[in-house]
Amino acid sequence: MTPEKPERLARLWRYGRYFAAAVAFVGLLLIVVSPVLGDNASEKLWLIEPIAYIGGILLAAGSVLVAVTYIATERAVATPPGDSRQEWSRLTREYFDLFGHDLGRPLRRILGRARDARVRIDESGRNPDPALSELIDEIEQQAPTFRLMVSNVQVLIELENPAAEPEIEATDPARVIRNIVDRYSGIAGDRGAEITWWSEPEEFGVVYADPAALDHVVTNLVDNAVNHVNEHIEIRLTRNPTHFFVRVWDDGDGIPASYLPHVFDRGWTPEAAGRQERSSSGLGLFIARALARRCDGDVTLESVAAPGEDHHTEATIMLPLLERPG
Amino acid sequence: MTHNSSHAAGRRILVVDDEPDTALMRSVLRALQADGFEPLVVRPGAEGAGSALVGEEIVVTGEDFEAEALYAIEEHRPAGVILDVRFGEHRDDLFKGLGILGKIVERDPELPVLMFTQYTRGPARDAAVAGTLRHDARVDFVDKLASPEEVVLRLRRMIGTAPERIQVGAEFLIDPDAEIVYAVSANSEDGAGDGSPVPGIAIPEIQGMKFGILLELASAYYRSPGELVPFSRLERFSEGDDSRASLRVRIREIKNAMGDAIDRRLGPNDLIINVRNRGYRLAPLRPE
Repeated sequence: MTPEKPERLARLWRYGRYFAAAVAFVGLLLIVVSPVLGDNASEKLWLIEPIAYIGGILLAAGSVLVAVTYIATERAVATPPGDSRQEWSRLTREYFDLFGHDLGRPLRRILGRARDARVRIDESGRNPDPALSELIDEIEQQAPTFRLMVSNVQVLIELENPAAEPEIEATDPARVIRNIVDRYSGIAGDRGAEITWWSEPEEFGVVYADPAALDHVVTNLVDNAVNHVNEHIEIRLTRNPTHFFVRVWDDGDGIPASYLPHVFDRGWTPEAAGRQERSSSGLGLFIARALARRCDGDVTLESVAAPGEDHHTEATIMLPLLERPG
Repeated sequence: MTHNSSHAAGRRILVVDDEPDTALMRSVLRALQADGFEPLVVRPGAEGAGSALVGEEIVVTGEDFEAEALYAIEEHRPAGVILDVRFGEHRDDLFKGLGILGKIVERDPELPVLMFTQYTRGPARDAAVAGTLRHDARVDFVDKLASPEEVVLRLRRMIGTAPERIQVGAEFLIDPDAEIVYAVSANSEDGAGDGSPVPGIAIPEIQGMKFGILLELASAYYRSPGELVPFSRLERFSEGDDSRASLRVRIREIKNAMGDAIDRRLGPNDLIINVRNRGYRLAPLRPE
């Protein structure tokens, strides 16, 4: 059903209700005026009874019709098929924004205090307790995770909205990657790893894409790589005549072949397969692929979990090179 | 890595925020100062007449905060502006920063503006981006949970000026004008006594093309840590038929000289990293 149809139906019922109300009103009017008519025109007394009867019938019929059309109108407006999900999505997003704002404020305070604590320790000139430094590191490292978690929830809500479309605009993918590397270099460094990135060609230029979606997909894959890397992460931006690609490679222990078919399933984690406690929500890759596919692209994964030095994982984002919109 | 400036021309950053006292904002201001920027905060203050300069703040006490912020830009000619999208909780103030941004762009479209948003996604950011896309401006966004280092890196790239000195980790300092690389002593302090690193021991072996290679790598690192410098940008510092072999030899010599200056042997993944026949990049040394 197209979105216009429930609207038209609701309008039709609403007009029917007005008509029914008018009928009932005429009926009521006839009942009221019938004795008056009889008094003022004694020669027409015979009319009183039939007018009263007709008025009564019109009033009753009109009232029933008002009730029926009222219920039908409300139902047509309240539960048009297809619209309820959009309404739910809109409301959920509104609630989420309020919740996200309220959650962000205390988090910013905690993070700010942690940074203040680090400055005070540095200024004191004393060697801090290693456990205290670790605690501050941990608080600071959780900030990007929190940012990603908040974004993931929002994207999940958006993905539920069938009417949502990618917002295509001129996008510099190199800039998107550069900003993500800024965000994750420090965390990777704290874990003894490096992130290196480059584009081919060197001057990659502008493409037409959904920048928020691209940022989100790459962030999820880099976050994943940082969580599993041993020493090196490499991010490569390339293109062919029809698509552009972002490859995120890490030298982590790799994913066993038996797990690979499941890694894009919603909520799947290796721990879930082993019925152990989860280390993550298992939503990152699911969201990345769903978002890329909504943009007519895809995310694929190649991994080697062999013992020795060959183990690695490479996630590839493929997105179409679109024409300039409009 | 920090940038050290002996004079502050073009390093002033105007910070327009209604809550500059939050711990998070303080950490950003500290990071800006540590990087050689001069942050100057424009903030609303208590009711009263006119504005008063308080230390490194301009406290706007009148109602017309927007006009005062714009006046401060004309008065102080900053190299860039950090601007909060949201001013207060009132519905009318949610995107007040965008209104100020529009006026800034109208007056000076070349002025880099970094906007603080609540999150990387969401309607607030969408509205902020949409509001900005109307302008062909040098505008970027960063969310408030970004690390101070991230904010500084964004500003460095937006402003784009070449640094006067580039510090690489705690050990080395590069002076591009004098074409000298220094090994910085942990105990060195400058004359002002503020603890900022000063040239330590010069490393005389790094000159000419070797200095050119190191400066190219350090400049790239200064703007974008992690970004590879491809061979195409380094080949001009090589000689002979096999330019890559020539580069390899020079980089080995650079690493040996820098390692000797700090009594440390630098391995393949220390300081200058080669990425599978594509190029090199600088990575500050990790503690041993």
